[in-house]
Amino acid sequence: MLLQSEIASILLNGLQQGAIYALLGIGLTIILGTMEFLNLAHGALYLVGAYVGLIVFQETTLSNGFLYSAGITSIGFEGGFLAAIVLVPIVGFGLGLLMERFVAEPFYDRPETDQLLVTFGLALIVEETVKNVIGGNTFQSIAPSTLFGVNVSQPIQLPFVGLFPSWRLLIIVITFLVIGVTYLAIERTDFGLVVQAGTRDSEMVRLLGIKINRSYSLVFALGAALAAFAGLIGASIQTVSPQIGTDQALIPAFLTIVVGGAGSVRGAIAGGMVLGLIISAMTQTYSQWAQIVLYLFVALMLVFRPEGLFGTGEVGE
Amino acid sequence: MARDTTALSRRDVLKTSGAAGVAGLAGLAGCTGGGGGDSEYPALGNYPVEGDEVVFGFNVPQSGSYSQEGADELRGYNLAVEHLNNGGGWVDDWEDLSGEGVLDKTVTAVEGDTATDPDTARQSATRMINRDNAIMITGGSSSGVAIAVQGLCQEEKVLFQCCITHSNDTTGSECVRYSFREMFNAYMTGQALAPVLRDEYGEDLNFYQLYADYSWGQTQQASMEQFFTEVGGWSQIESVPTPLGTSDYSSYLSDVPRDETDVLVLNHYGLDAANSLPQAIEAGLDQDMEIVVPLYNRLMAEAASGSIDGIFGTADWNWQLEDDASQSFVEVYRAEHDRAPSYGARIAYTQTLQYAAAVERAGTFYPPEVIRQLEGHEYSGAGLGEESMRACDHQAQRDVLVMQGASEQEQTEDKLLNIVSQTPRGDIGYACDAGPAAECELGEYGDE
Repeated sequence: MLLQSEIASILLNGLQQGAIYALLGIGLTIILGTMEFLNLAHGALYLVGAYVGLIVFQETTLSNGFLYSAGITSIGFEGGFLAAIVLVPIVGFGLGLLMERFVAEPFYDRPETDQLLVTFGLALIVEETVKNVIGGNTFQSIAPSTLFGVNVSQPIQLPFVGLFPSWRLLIIVITFLVIGVTYLAIERTDFGLVVQAGTRDSEMVRLLGIKINRSYSLVFALGAALAAFAGLIGASIQTVSPQIGTDQALIPAFLTIVVGGAGSVRGAIAGGMVLGLIISAMTQTYSQWAQIVLYLFVALMLVFRPEGLFGTGEVGE
Repeated sequence: MARDTTALSRRDVLKTSGAAGVAGLAGLAGCTGGGGGDSEYPALGNYPVEGDEVVFGFNVPQSGSYSQEGADELRGYNLAVEHLNNGGGWVDDWEDLSGEGVLDKTVTAVEGDTATDPDTARQSATRMINRDNAIMITGGSSSGVAIAVQGLCQEEKVLFQCCITHSNDTTGSECVRYSFREMFNAYMTGQALAPVLRDEYGEDLNFYQLYADYSWGQTQQASMEQFFTEVGGWSQIESVPTPLGTSDYSSYLSDVPRDETDVLVLNHYGLDAANSLPQAIEAGLDQDMEIVVPLYNRLMAEAASGSIDGIFGTADWNWQLEDDASQSFVEVYRAEHDRAPSYGARIAYTQTLQYAAAVERAGTFYPPEVIRQLEGHEYSGAGLGEESMRACDHQAQRDVLVMQGASEQEQTEDKLLNIVSQTPRGDIGYACDAGPAAECELGEYGDE
C-alpha cells in the first residue's frame, strides 16, 4: 500500500513537472527544428510570461487591482488567473513575432555561435530590464484560490496518493490540453504540415512555392507563446524573481530536447515526461542523487542515442 | 592603474619580507610604515592606510538566491558610511565614534557581488583587498560565502566583519582570528526555539526535517535535532537534504509521512524558504502537522505571505523592538528608505560601526590591535541590550528573538512577524570548550 501510494505520487509529481518541461521543450524544438535557430532567449520568454502573468493577476484581482480602482468589484468569478491565461500567450506570441523579425531573421544564415551570442545577450537584457523596471524582489506565486467558483486552494484526497494540491492537479489538466492542441495543430493542419516539412528540408518547401518565411514567423511566435504560457504556469506554483528564466526554464528546455530529439514535438513531450518522472522518482527516493542521475541520463542519451528518442538528427546539427 | 601597481608591489614586498622572519620585518617596517598617522606598527595586510581616505569593502550578493538580502545589507552599509563620516544614527550615541570619519580619515566604500557563491565571493574580496586596498571586508549572506571569505581574510591579514551567516561553523570549526560575528548561530536558534516549541506543541513528538544541503543547512539541521531531542524529548523520523536553490519542493514534501509526523522543520532560507513553505501549505501538510521555519528573514516572510501565519522561527533582530538604539536605527533608516529596516541591514550597520569603534579605541588601523580591541569587548547600543564579542571564538553573546508569523489580515509592509520572546543571552550560548566553540582554533594575529 505504501509502495502504491509512493508510485502514485511520483507519477503525479512527475507528470506535473514534466508537463511544464514539455511546454518549454515544444517551443524550443519547433524553432530549432524549423529554422535551425538556437534560441537561448527561450528562458527569457518564460520570465516574461511569469511577470506578465503576475501583473495581470494582480491588476485584475478584485480586492486591490486596477479593476477595483476603476470601480469594478464583481465580474462573477476571480478573473485574474483566467485573464492571464488568455493574455500571457498573446503577449508571448507578439514578442515572438518581433523577435523573429528583428533578432532571429538577421542571424539565420550566420554561424550558430553568433545565434547563441545574440540570443544569450537578449536573455541578459530582458533579465536586467525586469530587475530595473520591476525590481529584484521575489513575488509570491499567483495560484488562484477559486476558479469558476470552485475552491482550488485546498488539497484534495486522491485514491492511492492521499492528499494532493488540487491546483497542481488542475495544472496537469491545463498543460496537457495546451500540449494536445499544439500537437494537433502541428500534426493535423496545413500550417503544421509546412512546419514539419520545413524541419526536414526547408529548401524543398521553398521550391514548392510555399512562403516559408511567414511560417517561420508563426512558428517562432507559437514557440514564444508556449514558453510564456509555461512561465505563467510556473509562476502559479513557485515564487517569481528575475533569475527564474535560466534556472527554471532554459536549462530544462534544452535537456528536454536532448532527450526527446531536436525538431520533434512528440520528442519534446516524451522528453519532458521522462525528465519530470526521473526528477520526481529520484527526489522521493534518493534525493541527493537526483541531479546526478538526471544529468547522467542526459549524458548517456547523448552518447548512445544522440538523435534523441524521436529526433531525426543530432541536436544542433 | 598606478594604484594597482603600487598596491601589488607593496604586497609583493611584504610577502617576500615575510620569509625573512617576522622580527626582522617588524624592525624594518617601523621605519617605512608612516603615512597613516600611526607608524609604530609594521606593514601588515593593507596597513598602513595611505592618504586621507580609508576603504571598506562591502561584498554582498547582488545576484543569486540571496540577492535581496544583499540589497538590504548594502542599504545598512551605506548608512553606516554616511554616519561615520557625517554623524547621525548610532554614531552620535557610541562614545568611541566621532562622526568625522575613522581616525580622521574619510570612509569610502567599494562594492562587490558574491553572486551567493563562495568562489565568486573570494574573487570579489581578493579584488577589494589587492586592487582597492580595502582595510576591512564585510558582507555575505550565505555561510558558505562567509566561511570562504573569512579564510581569505585570515591569509591576507584583512579584517572580515560577518554579516548574515548563521552556520555554527563560521565561529566553530571554520573560525579565524580575523573574523567576527555579531549574528547568532544555528546552535543558539535551537536553544531559544526548542523550549518555546515544547511549551506550545508538547513533548514526545515526532519531527521530520528538510534542510538546505550546504554549511548552514547542515549545522542548522544538526542543531535542531540536538535541541528538539534534548529539550522537548522529540524523536527525528528522517532528515532529508535539498539542494540550495531548489524551487519546487513538491516531491520532497510528498515523501513526508503525514500520519507519523507531528512537526515538519523546514531548514530553508531566503528564496528557498519562500518556495518550500507555501508549497508545504499548498499540499495541506499544515492540516496534519505543525510547521517550523527555524530562521526567518524578511524576503521569505514577504514572499510566503499568508503561509507564515502562526509559524515559529527565530530572527536576529526586529524593528518592533522598543529600546532606544533599535528605534533610533529604525528612524534614520526609515527617513532614508521609507520603510523599516530588515535585520540584514542592522547587522551590516552594526558590524561596520563595531569595526570603526575598535579602530578608534586602538588608535590605529593595525589589524592585530583592532582585533584585540574587539575581543572580549562588552557593548550595548546595538539594539539587543548588553552584548559581548567573545574572545575565544569571536561569536557575539547576545539575546535571540523567537518570532511567529503574523496572520494575513495583520500583515503590513513592515509588520510580517510578531515577537514572541527575547531569550536572554544568559539562557543560551555555550562555554568556550563546548558546542561549536570547542572546535574553534582562531589562528594567528599576524604580529606574533
